[in-house]
Amino acid sequence: MYWTALIFAGIFEMVGVLSINHLHKHRNFTSFILLGGSFILSFTLLSFSMEELAMSIAYPVWTGIGTVGVTIMGILLFNEPASRLRILFIFCIIAATVGLKFIS
Amino acid sequence: MQLAWIKVFVGAFFEILWVVGLKHASTFPEWIATSLAIIISFYLLIMASKILPVGTAYAVFVGIGAAGTVVIEILFFGVPFQWEKLVFIILLLIGIIGLKLVSERLERSEV
Repeated sequence: MYWTALIFAGIFEMVGVLSINHLHKHRNFTSFILLGGSFILSFTLLSFSMEELAMSIAYPVWTGIGTVGVTIMGILLFNEPASRLRILFIFCIIAATVGLKFIS
Repeated sequence: MQLAWIKVFVGAFFEILWVVGLKHASTFPEWIATSLAIIISFYLLIMASKILPVGTAYAVFVGIGAAGTVVIEILFFGVPFQWEKLVFIILLLIGIIGLKLVSERLERSEV
């Protein structure tokens, strides 16, 4: 449950970061709500996950999921290259996350 | 330029503060302080990113944040030191920092 919350916290973080970009293109009320809402959700879920998980696990994993998410969205939506190096780093983050889940 | 780096370091310090707050805050003033720390840390990062390359600023920011969190946890909250945990956290940081620097290099080559 707590790891699920953490993963969704990371996903909403990604949504929030992408919505910053979206806000630049569509300056309307809905965009602001999307931005505020996704970040609030992200932090709330992160806080919840930390009821069980250590800070040193939750914070880096949350950051990692957000970063992976933004990178993948960049590749899928904004035509950014899926270089081998990027794939390698994404793999590092996923492997580290799985490892941390395994030992906790 | 120097001021921008100071913003990164101070921002990372506030980042560590809000992470601690998010886990340990219980009273209303503590939650207010946590929220303020979140706002301050992101504001400083955004300001620093106007001058410094975004990826680099963010990478240092997150690195200090994560390292600081580990240290604070062990020193002040009695969490035991575990080698396996440290290795995975370092691997995680390598991935995050690597991705940020690659993105930054891409952005610069497009200019």
